Amino acid sequence: MITPLKALRKNRFKTALIFISMSVSISAIFLISAISGGVVSMYSAMLKTDGDIIVTQKGIADTFFSDINRSFAEPIAKMDGVKEVSALILGAAPVEPLPIVGIYGVSEGRFNSYHLTQGRYPKRGEVLLGSKIDATLKHPSAIVLSKKTFHVSGVFKSKIGFEDGGVVMGLDDGGELFHKSTSIFLVSLNDLSKSDAVLKEIGMLGSDLEAKTTDSFIDSYNQFKIIKTSSDVIGAMAFLMGILGIVSMMSMVVNDRKGEFGIMRSIGLSPSVIIFKLLSETLIIALLAFAVAWGVSEGVLELIKHADKFQGYINGEITAILLVKVFVVSVVMALIGTLMPAIYASRIDPMSLIQKGGA
Amino acid sequence: MKIVATGLEHYYGHEQVLRGIELSIEPGSFTAIIGESGSGKTTLLSILSTLLRPSKGDVTYDAKALSQWGSIDAFRRRHIGFVFQFHYLISYLTLRENIALAAMGEFHDQIDPLMARLGIERLGMRYSDEVSGGERQRAAIARSLINRPSVVFADEPTGNLDTKNALGVYELFREFSREDTTFIVASHDKKIADFADTIIEMEDGVVKNISKR
Repeated sequence: MITPLKALRKNRFKTALIFISMSVSISAIFLISAISGGVVSMYSAMLKTDGDIIVTQKGIADTFFSDINRSFAEPIAKMDGVKEVSALILGAAPVEPLPIVGIYGVSEGRFNSYHLTQGRYPKRGEVLLGSKIDATLKHPSAIVLSKKTFHVSGVFKSKIGFEDGGVVMGLDDGGELFHKSTSIFLVSLNDLSKSDAVLKEIGMLGSDLEAKTTDSFIDSYNQFKIIKTSSDVIGAMAFLMGILGIVSMMSMVVNDRKGEFGIMRSIGLSPSVIIFKLLSETLIIALLAFAVAWGVSEGVLELIKHADKFQGYINGEITAILLVKVFVVSVVMALIGTLMPAIYASRIDPMSLIQKGGA
Repeated sequence: MKIVATGLEHYYGHEQVLRGIELSIEPGSFTAIIGESGSGKTTLLSILSTLLRPSKGDVTYDAKALSQWGSIDAFRRRHIGFVFQFHYLISYLTLRENIALAAMGEFHDQIDPLMARLGIERLGMRYSDEVSGGERQRAAIARSLINRPSVVFADEPTGNLDTKNALGVYELFREFSREDTTFIVASHDKKIADFADTIIEMEDGVVKNISKR
């Protein structure tokens, strides 16, 4: 342990460059994964609130485009195993000075899922504001949506960033604002074992309806797939850039230390000892880079969370699973990036010590 | 360890640098290979020390070919020591750590006594850039001797030393060769002849003369 640390200290400049390169790559992986995971988990959490089954318009690419007749709520509510049906309109509109804000039109029964911090639930022509947007707009008494003024009846606090930075209104107001009956139904069940039967019955209500369990909806939701794929691609690029950074820096390190590896070969140390030595040096850097990247990423996510500019919509979280995944990625990055230069170092011919001279 | 070379020839590309070398080096001897630059002495030393494979011919160590000794790394570590013109001490390790790096388990206890014998016992915690050229080379010699090898090969070991330190190094070789370690030294320094008991003179890739004292 002491020898690799001494070697790293001796080659401070290149050690610092490898450390920076790895820290940047690992931070990029942390941030993109945490942010995309945060977006998916926030939206999933919103849909999962009181929703075991989600009903949307058939074949739509996004719930924002879904428009179904809210009169279907009544027959669904009467189905065996169904506890409650709530309708939800999902939309977005500018609220001066914010260019885009999430607007949620909800049926009356769903209001109690928003925890009020002040005021009361809205009546017709009124809205509830999430605490984040309320603070951003400096506690307004009314807001203007599509040239129509809505009075603010209360403020709620939600852990879900999309809601905390959004506006909630009654279903009728939402319907008028977005010219639709409702976007989705959230169906909660008394008995989860009856979900298949309920899905089948909903399917028979109308050819325009598509019902899925919430989990299956989240798994197949196109927007989530796009976010996840983008995040995976960017993460993979950061991983590759990290490897390339290590390979190039370690190649220079090996070149600088040819005499050292040559003498090791001449005194009979096996190639595997030299490879292990270099791998252990990079692993130490990887562990430090991982710790620093973790700290930096937590800091950046905290800043983003509180930045008014993002309205609380970007709410990344570094979960224990993400932590383990990125730790493994960091170790693999260090090992792959070092392996080739280390193999080269292990094959340095001690003859070069005689032919070239110079330590 | 007795080293016997038979019919050694070596080429770098099309250029022949060794021609029909036949020699035998006795255990515990101090053998100097001398000659002008380009005479082939370093190539011969490299072949005898296992660093270079000859284009033709054989070298045996105690009547066994190198391949019969098993792993070349293990053979080098156990039986061979090297001293180069440049000390090649690892700069981020202390002199003692440099010697310890080469030491096999059972020889770790010998580091301090060996350093004392070489007169560098007080320099164990110093780094190579904190000691003189002669002290560096003594540390390199200690590294080559720590596993009590059968044979130590040295290529121009005094090339960077002043006369006083160079003579000190030859004295050390002489002293250790009396304890059954074979020393084979390639040098263009004619002073080595005063210390070696066998002198191999090389010229244009052939052994011109072998003299014993």
